[in-house]
Amino acid sequence: MMSLPLVVLLPFLGAPLAAWSVRFGRLGAPWASGGITLVTLLVLLGVAEAPFAGRTMVERLPWLGSAGLDLAFRLDGLGLLFALLILGIGLLVIFYARYYLEAEDCLGRFYTYLMLFMGAMLGIVLSENLVQLVVFWELTSLTSFLLISYWQGSEEARRAARMSLVVTGAGGLALLAGVVMLGEMVGSYALSDVLAAGDQVRAHPWYLPMLTLVLLGAFTKSAQFPFHFWLPAAMAAPTPVSAYLHSATMVKAGVFLLARLFPVLSDTPAWSGLVGGFGLATFLLGAYFALFKHDIKGLLAYSTISHLGLIMLLLGIGTPLAAVAAVFHIINHATFKASLFMAAGIIDHEAGSRDMRKLNGLWKYMPHTALLAMVAAASMAGVPLFNGFLSKEMLFAEAVGVQTQMAFGWLLPVVVTVAGVFAVAYSLRFIYETFFNGEPVGLEHTPHEPPRWMKVPVEILVLLCLVVGILPALTVEPILAVGVSGLLHGPAPEYSLAIWHGFSPALLMSVLALAGGVGVYAFRAPLFALAERMGGRFEAVRFFWRGHDGLLRWADRANPWQDGVSLTTMVLALVGAGGIVGLAGHLGGGSPLAGGATPTPLDPVSLLLGLGGIAAAGAAVVLHRRRLASVILLGAVGLVIALVFIRFSAPDLGLTQLSVEVVTLILLLLALYFLPQHGPAEDGAARCLRDGVVAGLAGLGVGLVSWAILTRPHETIADYFLEQAKPGGGGANVVNVILVDFRGFDTLGEIAVLALAGLGIFAMLQHLYLPGPAKDHAGRGWDPDRHPPIMASLTRLLLPLALLVSFFIFLRGHQLPGGGFIAGLVTAVALIMQYLANGVSWTQARLPAHLHGIMGTGLLVATGTGLVAMALGYPFLTSTFDYFHWPLVGEVELASALAFDLGVYLVVVGTTLLVLIHLGMVHRASHGVSGNPVGGQ
Amino acid sequence: MTMEMPNLVPVLPEIVVLAMTCLILVVDLFLRDDQRDVTYLLTQATLVVAFALTWALGDDQVRLTLFGSVVNDPLSDVLKLFIYLLTFMTFVFARPYMKERGLHTGEYYVLGLLGVLGMMVMVSSYSMLLMYLGLELLSLSLYALVSLNRDSTRCSEAAMKYLVLGAVASGMLLYGMSLIYGLTGSLNVIEISHAIVRDGADLPMVVAVAFVVVGLAFKLGAVPFHMWLPDVYEGAPTAITAYLSAAPKLAGFALFVRLLAEGLGPVTAEWQQMLMVLAVLSLFLGNVVAIAQTSFKRMLAYSTISHIGFVLLGLLAGTNDGYSAALFYVVAYALMSLGGFATILYLARRGTEAESLDDLRGLNDRNPFAAFTVLILMFSMAGIPFTLGFWAKLAVLRALVQVDFVWLAVFAVVMSVIGAFYYLRVLKMVYFDKPVETAPLARGLDFRLVFGANGLAILGLGLYPAGLVALCAGAINV
Repeated sequence: MMSLPLVVLLPFLGAPLAAWSVRFGRLGAPWASGGITLVTLLVLLGVAEAPFAGRTMVERLPWLGSAGLDLAFRLDGLGLLFALLILGIGLLVIFYARYYLEAEDCLGRFYTYLMLFMGAMLGIVLSENLVQLVVFWELTSLTSFLLISYWQGSEEARRAARMSLVVTGAGGLALLAGVVMLGEMVGSYALSDVLAAGDQVRAHPWYLPMLTLVLLGAFTKSAQFPFHFWLPAAMAAPTPVSAYLHSATMVKAGVFLLARLFPVLSDTPAWSGLVGGFGLATFLLGAYFALFKHDIKGLLAYSTISHLGLIMLLLGIGTPLAAVAAVFHIINHATFKASLFMAAGIIDHEAGSRDMRKLNGLWKYMPHTALLAMVAAASMAGVPLFNGFLSKEMLFAEAVGVQTQMAFGWLLPVVVTVAGVFAVAYSLRFIYETFFNGEPVGLEHTPHEPPRWMKVPVEILVLLCLVVGILPALTVEPILAVGVSGLLHGPAPEYSLAIWHGFSPALLMSVLALAGGVGVYAFRAPLFALAERMGGRFEAVRFFWRGHDGLLRWADRANPWQDGVSLTTMVLALVGAGGIVGLAGHLGGGSPLAGGATPTPLDPVSLLLGLGGIAAAGAAVVLHRRRLASVILLGAVGLVIALVFIRFSAPDLGLTQLSVEVVTLILLLLALYFLPQHGPAEDGAARCLRDGVVAGLAGLGVGLVSWAILTRPHETIADYFLEQAKPGGGGANVVNVILVDFRGFDTLGEIAVLALAGLGIFAMLQHLYLPGPAKDHAGRGWDPDRHPPIMASLTRLLLPLALLVSFFIFLRGHQLPGGGFIAGLVTAVALIMQYLANGVSWTQARLPAHLHGIMGTGLLVATGTGLVAMALGYPFLTSTFDYFHWPLVGEVELASALAFDLGVYLVVVGTTLLVLIHLGMVHRASHGVSGNPVGGQ
Repeated sequence: MTMEMPNLVPVLPEIVVLAMTCLILVVDLFLRDDQRDVTYLLTQATLVVAFALTWALGDDQVRLTLFGSVVNDPLSDVLKLFIYLLTFMTFVFARPYMKERGLHTGEYYVLGLLGVLGMMVMVSSYSMLLMYLGLELLSLSLYALVSLNRDSTRCSEAAMKYLVLGAVASGMLLYGMSLIYGLTGSLNVIEISHAIVRDGADLPMVVAVAFVVVGLAFKLGAVPFHMWLPDVYEGAPTAITAYLSAAPKLAGFALFVRLLAEGLGPVTAEWQQMLMVLAVLSLFLGNVVAIAQTSFKRMLAYSTISHIGFVLLGLLAGTNDGYSAALFYVVAYALMSLGGFATILYLARRGTEAESLDDLRGLNDRNPFAAFTVLILMFSMAGIPFTLGFWAKLAVLRALVQVDFVWLAVFAVVMSVIGAFYYLRVLKMVYFDKPVETAPLARGLDFRLVFGANGLAILGLGLYPAGLVALCAGAINV
């Protein structure tokens, strides 16, 4: 039977039960929670004999198999001890809270949170799997957040809850990182494996970072200096929560974790330095600050911090006997501190205040409660015959015992004694100022004893303090031995639990602490004055909120710098970052910029072309505000590029570039009509400079990359096509053969897209009329003579010539530079010239108005070529060619690809015309004039 | 020349989506405005059919088709299934919102489906050409979607920024790809990898890798290529932001794996360092600046940036564990992000966008169900245990520690702590503050069901993540 998963699961099941049971009256929730807790306790006791017999129980459920994670639970002595504390004190707190909470508080919510917390806490102490432990760890942070903020109306409670969640949650994440590292070091996340791999872990190079991360988790949770500040703030929680979470359980989770990992992590200088050092500092500072708190719960919170530091110190000392003392003090602290918190809750409840400056002389009004609190406080101070004395004396003995092992070792007993002095002093202050010291000041109503049953949990705990303090060997010994053996992962050492050990240094230290404490309290006035002057200047909580506010300010400051900026800035950032990444790649690559190959030597023609291109581009930048000039200069750049193509033996590309350039120029000019002749001025020299630098760097970068690539040997894919063009496609012009044959399918797709784009533009422009500017910047109107007759006549003469050229280019395309695409552009330009020179109405009367047909025919012809091949049993678009003898002309090659090229030609002509004509028709000017500019029809 | 007919079975889902998109486009023309739900139903049906097809065709085999340019492997199957699922959920969330704003048009669904097609192509492509085509199909759909609300200047500004920057980034990606093609002589991922092993990587290859990384990082929104993201997230109608934030990140992740891990695997050391810088910056900036936001949408945008940092951390580990951790993370992120934007869609009404953080105040008093879902979402985003986000972070951290990037893991943890801060601030508003607005939330049953399922998935997968972990581990085989 799976008992351990049941132990963890039951409280989680109890949580919704508690919420639901409120329907049956206000007290349904405590009864349900108490019942569930009792059942859980019984289930746990059912399997408790295993640890007592020296066995470790492990039970696992499949969970995350592929990642090597199971839901695994483990019960050994240490786990059992903590689980008993959690359930036992949990039961008392459930009982107590029923009386503590007021009628208007929602009990269902409180008990739901409490049960969730209890389940998470049990999950921590019973986890066999480290990741699972962290999961439950974070869950306790969350539930404690809910519990601290239980009184949601209070701003203070909400702030405190957030702070504790941030601190402990952050620590939990650090712990997660540490646990992941630990798991990777061992190769398993199972505690059994990790505990067995102590030597391997301690020798690992990651030991120190891993230890630091784990300690961050433990210190934040257990409120160690300098992360202690959340605990006093968390006193805004209802007192049962403080009694449960902030004395007995949650704050002990950090201690538990270190105890759990004690066999793996301890016994190194780093461990004793860090754990012992921070423990000692916390022990001393906590005790010191506790003395000056006027709020009872504040005093108890700092006292808790101090005692947690004491336990940490013991773990840090690291001897087996110190471990015994640590476990013993965990038990003792849980009992006396929980009872003290409950007593403080009673006082708060019945007297209406927790301020020791107001609460005086309560002995008269609530003697029974006062007696209980005084016993518990005596135990807290370490007075003989109470349980706190025993474990504290063990600490003193250990402090003396290890002092010889280190430099400045003598400081340890001294500091420990000083801390003990303060502990006595604040306990004394708590007793004296609360219960004696005259009469209460300014209380709203007269204090009185609480309901009888509210005191029962306190009585039980105080009784435990006494019994353990007087008869330790008979009461606590068995569970202590089991707990210690669980901690040490081996048998417990020899130790004696007697009250009287004879005259020893430890006894002397105890006496000194008691006497010193009384002395400090008696002459406390100067100390209080000093504390008043310091005014909490060094309180860590201030640093927390300062860091918190600083982060907010920082975020606000970083925000406008990069958030919601203009498009220009964004492009600048994008391009700049891209350039930096590229540059970093270059610098990181470590290879030289230039490769081995020697570039082609420079000749005058290339140089001239290059300079011409640079001059044209530069001039375009300088004159960019004059739009017409810059468009023409861009045309010149295009022309230079066409010449470069020709220079490097790519006449086909040159021709294409040339015709595309003309069409683009016309397109730009048509668009320019709607814009002012001059572009807007830039914002200023700084921006011009910036843009200039960016552009220069971009050009430099691209130039360098080109240089790097061109100076390296590379293979070209051209050879294959050069070889295959004639035998495979029957053409000498490789470019054209690729277009219409090898990659005919691509070309078919391209012309389809071209036609679609033409149609899309047509649909957008069809009924669009825009008024262009009527006057230029100097106030001059347009030339009334829109179609000069000379130009119109000349253009008409040119038309047949241009069409002949285009036909010639089309036909020779398969063998010599040319082809359907270029021919189409030439035709289109020739026709558009007619529109420009003769006007729309004249030209439209003579040319087919519907160009869709031409485009459609082109697509049909091209597709048809492919389909014919299919009809003849070849795959789509398979081409063929043959040679025919024509009379007069001679041998002529006819390829089926020519028909395909015709399709390309038609689509290009149709689309180009369609787009340009309709862009022109948007102009108001295109519609005003009619008739023949040359005269006649 | 002749060519063989390729095996088209592996691309059947793509063909179905394409055909259905065309069909829906035509059908939508003949519908009246009040019949637009037919378009919606057809769209959802298409996604369901594609899901079923991918599911039925999926197995452990790696199949190449279309001359080795398309791959069908467990990774593509897993990603496609999640893409359908997320898009399906997005459309459910979007419908009432778009109706209220008069944006419930056929274009939304058609563009959405085209985007899905683009993502499918990206996920399955083994050729740089196809990758680019898929990416552009997706991007163009997104540009159009972002500008769907043409009357809003904020929307237009966002679309303009997105378009221009996206074009620049695409240009950089293409530049890098063309350099790689020139250097290796191949567009095919496998052949590129072989060519690099054979010839070694020289300076131009490093530069090429840099530009490819820049292009891909922009699409995911990694710092310093992130600036478009908050503006676009805030500017676009929320239903479109939801679409934009979820599934496309999965496709972007696929490109990283296909191109960087599989194709440029031999130069892992080069891109690893670049991703490291991007990841560190993303984690830092995303988390810190998110704190300063007052708009919930912008906060989620910066949260996206920080999550992308985590995804990059997983990727840069360069191991199978790292890739599967990143896959796990990106899936988890997509679910969380969609849930976040769905919350805004839940709160929005006619005339109220509800995209400010203040609109979340007192949500618990207005609708405990929505408040609880927000609680799960925020916990998950913060990486708090027993939610999906925790396991995602854990997987990435483990992958990092395995390859000795301990300092990166610690840095990521520190940044998560800062991140937790603003997620918890949202919860504080939801649970502790008094509501400004008291109107009840009114959404249909389908919305509430899917919204609840989204939250439950994050909680359920958080409680029992084994299935998803196994799925992600099985999908990666680089």
